[in-house]
Order: sequence, then structure tokens, then C-alpha cells
Amino acid sequence: MPNKWMVTAAVIGMLVLSLLLPAPALAHGVNIQYSSDIEITIVAKYDSGEPMAGAQVAVYAPDDPSTPWLTGACDDEGRFSFTPDTSIPGTWDVQVRLAGHGGMVHIPVGEDSTASSGGVGGYSYLQLGLMAACVIWGSIGTAFYFRRRRQA
Amino acid sequence: MRKKAIFIAMPLLILVMVLAGCPGGKAAGTLEFYANGEDFVRQGFVSKDGWSIQFDHVYITLADIAAYQTDPPYDPQSGSDISGKHTVSLNGAYTIDLAEGGTDASPILVGKVSDVPVGHYNALAFNMARAESGPAAGYSLVMIGTAEKGGQTVEFNIKVEEECEYQCGEYVGDERKGIVAEDGTADLEMTFHFDHIFGSGDLPLDDELNLGAIGFEPFAGSAHVEDVLDMSEMHLGHVGEGHCHCGCQ
Repeated sequence: MPNKWMVTAAVIGMLVLSLLLPAPALAHGVNIQYSSDIEITIVAKYDSGEPMAGAQVAVYAPDDPSTPWLTGACDDEGRFSFTPDTSIPGTWDVQVRLAGHGGMVHIPVGEDSTASSGGVGGYSYLQLGLMAACVIWGSIGTAFYFRRRRQA
Repeated sequence: MRKKAIFIAMPLLILVMVLAGCPGGKAAGTLEFYANGEDFVRQGFVSKDGWSIQFDHVYITLADIAAYQTDPPYDPQSGSDISGKHTVSLNGAYTIDLAEGGTDASPILVGKVSDVPVGHYNALAFNMARAESGPAAGYSLVMIGTAEKGGQTVEFNIKVEEECEYQCGEYVGDERKGIVAEDGTADLEMTFHFDHIFGSGDLPLDDELNLGAIGFEPFAGSAHVEDVLDMSEMHLGHVGEGHCHCGCQ
């Protein structure tokens, strides 16, 4: 019996020790982190193929179509990159203008626009909550109904 | 009996509340339609071939004006017809003098429609049509003014019979237009770039705009307008700086 206790104590001691002792450093270890952000790059050119170098860019997020979320300028090749906030899903609009001419491109980001209204399957969270309340209410009512019949 | 009534009534009440939360309200606002010949018309400009042009009147007749809420947004490059979940039409034909007012005059209000559904009107269609009456009767566009070059002065009265259909995407400019909020007023603009006809002396001759423009020289002579001016090639109608799909006949 004492042997059993001793074995148990030894096992626990080893476990505790293994947790307390520092792990050996690995000389060739790597630390890889990732980000799920997406970078969007647009390339703006005239119909002739000439890049819209230095063109003004305004990026509009789906939750505020009136105010630019970001402004900037295209590089010499007509390129402009930005990383949208993926917590604002929907269509992001990018306006490019230069010397009296311009255009817009519309870029879908994240879930579709129905999700952006804050709900599931086209219902708002309030509606979903009320529907759940209906189901619970119905279940309680049914339970009471059968309980009463059994008592009778 | 009373409990039974409550059990029946409560789910019904909740159901009514859920349905009441469904979209479909009557939120509405006002949408205004403007026409703008820009500083080219109000202040004059120098054509690609060196003529200094001043306009006294630029009569344009606009008809079948309609704004749309499109999703996905309408792309004028596609050349397809616009279809939107909401359409607001400004009925009738309107002859506008784009040169009206001073050099700093505002764009001209063509008309407005009240009680329109809220949302973003991101596409616009309009026709340049022949006027049935008034100073431009029989013509879709009449440009009256003076051009000078090297001491030579020419008074011009250029009359265009061609009719054009313009189908445009969203307005492109300093601010976004066409966003109607509840009880609010938003505007859209039909913009006309006359440097597309005459070219611009501010740009190199080999600039794409100047390559497509005919300049003023043909009008200084005795050439007939219809011989030198193909409106479908001029791309006169815009929405701000945004291009439109254009068809003329």
C-alpha cells in the first residue's frame, strides 16, 4: 500500500517538475504569424491604356457612402492599394479622378450585404429573438398542458 | 379558460410584433435633377485649334430623365440598359440654356421629384432630344456665341439635330450625389463637356481628348454641322466626371 502512494507521489512530482522546468530553446525555431486582412489593389487607366498617374482616389465603406473612408493617390502606374476593414462587409466603392475625368469601381468585401444589416437569413437579431421567445413560450405551454392532463 | 386565452393571445401578439419589424416602411425624400455646362460654357475657353470661344446661349433639350437605384451598380461600359430596384422619372422635356447666369452661375435646376424612396440613386439616364418649341425648336442642341483667333472674329450659331441617349452610372465629383435620406433632399447632375467637341488649348494636340475633338476651325468656314459633327463620337453627356454610354441618331 505505501508503495502505491509513493509511486503516485513520484508521478505527480515528475509532472509538476516537467511543467516548471523551462523548455529548451530551439536554435532554428521559427515564429510565423498570419493576418487575415486582405489588401486590394486597383489599377486605373484611360481607355487608351495610359495609366492615371497621380489620380485622386477616394474609398467609401459600405456603412457610410457619403464620407470617404480613405483618400490617396495612384502611383505612376495608376496603382493604389488599401486594406479594407473586413468588419464592415458589403460593397466598397473606390472613386478615381484625374483632370476632369473619373470613374468608380465597386468591390464586394466579406459577407454579402444581407449580413451587414445585423442578422441571419434576412432577419434582424430582434426578430430572431422574438421568434425564439415564441418557440420557448410554446414549449412551456405544451409542457403545462401535458402536466395538467397527467394530474387529472 | 383565462389562462388558455393568454396562451393563445401571447404568441399572436409576438407574431404581430415580429411582422411589424419587417422592412417596407414609406421612408421618402426628394430628388433634384440639375444640368451643368461647367465653366467651359459659363466662362468660355480656348479650343484645341486656338479659337477663343465665348457662348451667349447654349440651348439643350433634355427628356426621359430617370434616376435608378441599381445593385450591382450600373456599369456604363457594359452598354446594357439600366435596371434598378427603384426608378424615379422626371416626366416631360426641358429646354435649358446652359449659358444662363454669370461666369460663376450654379448648375441649372431642371426639375425635382418629391416622395421618392430613400437610398442611393447611382445611375442616371437622359436623352438629348429635339425641342418642339422655343428658341431651339427643331434642334436638340443650339450653341450661339463668338469665337476669336488672330484678330478674326466669327459669330457662330451651331444647330444640332441629332438626338442622343445617355446611360450613366454614378456621379463622379468632389462629393457623392444621389443619396436620398428620409425627409432629405439629394441631387443628381447631367454634365456636358463641351471641350469634347471643340478640344482644349490647355492640352497637347496628341492628348486623347483633343484627338477625339474636331476643334472650332470647321465651324469658322462654311461647312454644314452635320458634315463635321458626329455627336455619338463626341461623348458630350456625363455625370460629373463620370462617362456615360451614348447612342445618337
